[in-house]
Amino acid sequence: MSQHPDSPARSNSGSHCGRVWVIAMHAFTQLVRMKVFYFLAVFAVIAIGSNFFDLPQHTGPEVSGIAVLSSIKSWSLGTMTLFSVVLGIVATALLLPKDVEDRTLYTILAKPVPRVDYLAGKLLGVLLLVFVSLALMDVLMSAVLQIRSSMILNQQMDFAQGRGWSAAEIASLRGDILSQGANASLQGAVFAVFLRASIMASLALLISTFSSSTLFTSIISFLIYFIGHFQADARAIFLESGAAGTGPVTRAISLVVSLVLPDFQLFNVIDAVIEGQAMPLLILAKLTAIGLFYAVFYVIASWFIFAEKEF
Amino acid sequence: MADATPAVEICGLVKDFKTSFRREMLRAVAGVSIRIEAGEVYGLIGPNGSGKSTTMKALLGLVAPTAGHCAIFGQDSLVVDSRRDVGFLPENPYFYKHLSGAETLRFYGKLCGMRGRVLEQRVSELLALVDLESARDRRLGGYSKGMLQRIGLAQALVQDPRLLILDEPTAGVDPIGSRQIRDLIFKLRERGITVFLCSHLLEQVQEVCDRVGIIFQGKMVKEGRLEDLIAIEDQTEIILRDASPELIARITALVASTPGTELVRSGKPRTTLERLFLRETLRDEP
Ligand SMILES: Nc1ncnc2c1ncn2[C@@H]1O[C@H](COP(=O)(O)OP(=O)(O)O)[C@@H](O)[C@H]1O
Ligand SMILES: [Mg+2]
Repeated sequence: MSQHPDSPARSNSGSHCGRVWVIAMHAFTQLVRMKVFYFLAVFAVIAIGSNFFDLPQHTGPEVSGIAVLSSIKSWSLGTMTLFSVVLGIVATALLLPKDVEDRTLYTILAKPVPRVDYLAGKLLGVLLLVFVSLALMDVLMSAVLQIRSSMILNQQMDFAQGRGWSAAEIASLRGDILSQGANASLQGAVFAVFLRASIMASLALLISTFSSSTLFTSIISFLIYFIGHFQADARAIFLESGAAGTGPVTRAISLVVSLVLPDFQLFNVIDAVIEGQAMPLLILAKLTAIGLFYAVFYVIASWFIFAEKEF
Repeated sequence: MADATPAVEICGLVKDFKTSFRREMLRAVAGVSIRIEAGEVYGLIGPNGSGKSTTMKALLGLVAPTAGHCAIFGQDSLVVDSRRDVGFLPENPYFYKHLSGAETLRFYGKLCGMRGRVLEQRVSELLALVDLESARDRRLGGYSKGMLQRIGLAQALVQDPRLLILDEPTAGVDPIGSRQIRDLIFKLRERGITVFLCSHLLEQVQEVCDRVGIIFQGKMVKEGRLEDLIAIEDQTEIILRDASPELIARITALVASTPGTELVRSGKPRTTLERLFLRETLRDEP
């Protein structure tokens, strides 16, 4: 236990990535030990299990099969959206004020940790949690869909053959059913749900750097979430009504609004996937770019506020 | 130790805080200058609210000075790298309750860029140093105040820093706990670690500090070597064991017959309650 001024232990103080990862894993562990997964799993089971009781009445066999599958998807993706957004916002809104209140933040910032590393780490930890919980729900949903769609497929093939349908008709029915199953587009939709939650978590991070109250951060974030869904409409109306004289000004305002607030209607592709349409890769790439842009934008904005903060 | 740069240099530090009324500023620290040489133990004492914690936070870059500047080993406190060689134990520390003692140290070690075997070894070493090996895998939620203070001290020491900043290290800790902390500070001083501590309890600081500063309402009132500050220059103390009344009478007579000397007080010295407490509670221990 001698003093060694240039021991390898402190000749370097680690890389940014290393520190961000350490803080992220710590935030993730902290949230897991708050038992978030526990109630998440219970709710996921309830949501997905409820599909079995929620079967539509048998109208026509060839329609009802597809309707059941899309109802499972609709319920599951809806629950996933709700969970991921709530989890993303509340967990982020919780972590920062907690560290400030408990003064644990002092001990972290008294180490050679740049403030931006701290913020990025916390956010990454929440995103990790959202990602893992969505992955778990995705596995559950895909399994249910897989079982259900193969059951329906067998049943409908028997039915179609019994009616003496042509091979082409059977193939098309088969295609219809498979398009409703657990396919790549569905995974894309889940990823889109994750991206949306990520944007909300980053926004909550930005708000929590100046609010310092979990409740305030959460409420404002949810408000913005809902506003984000109407942003495109509002902008269209705004532009139409003011198009006459104030051209550059309105355009500038709408540009600022769309820079600060994402247009959540872009995520309506998730609904299209529920209806059985394929998700084009290009759209997914676009959503990923948008998600990244806003996450980075919000983290940098948070950093500007947080760097000036005193505790 | 031919290191000329001081461990701590605080020059004319002023810190104003905004109060709820925007225009009115509260001056928490009003022009404090402190210089601590490497290897020294420096104690800052003063009543609550006199600006001790604020001074330390400014030194760590947690608050930005309104005027003046702070440096650690010559590096400005506002630079992240200045924190490489410093460990900090905040006032009433409260760590992550969901982590165990070992996990806590591992977390802070990783933040300092430590990894693998070096880190594991350091964690065990520190747990032994602060006497928490038995609580290694217990969550901090179940730690007592004294244990939290000690894990906080271990956390501050994790990257083997040359400077340790302790904000009220013995506040709220029982006499045994605070003696353990005091002994630890002694041990660190022997190893050449610079310690900057503050306290509002004068008793506890006395024994460990080389130099003491007294701060009141944000201003340094008095500063100097401990012996110089507390010695009553014109008095001498004689403590006798089993002295007979006759001897006392002879000494008293001798003093009375010496011109220019005066007997201020004689009687039985009192033990302090703290010493009594320690003697009674530690009697059974080896
Ligand atoms: N973040 C803050 N905002 C406003 N006032 C503060 C803040 N921190 C400390 N103060 C004020 O500054 C003064 C000094 O506080 P502090 O340095 O904590 O004193 P000490 O540690 O000596 O007890 C106190 O009057 C306190 O109320
Ligand atoms: Mg204080």
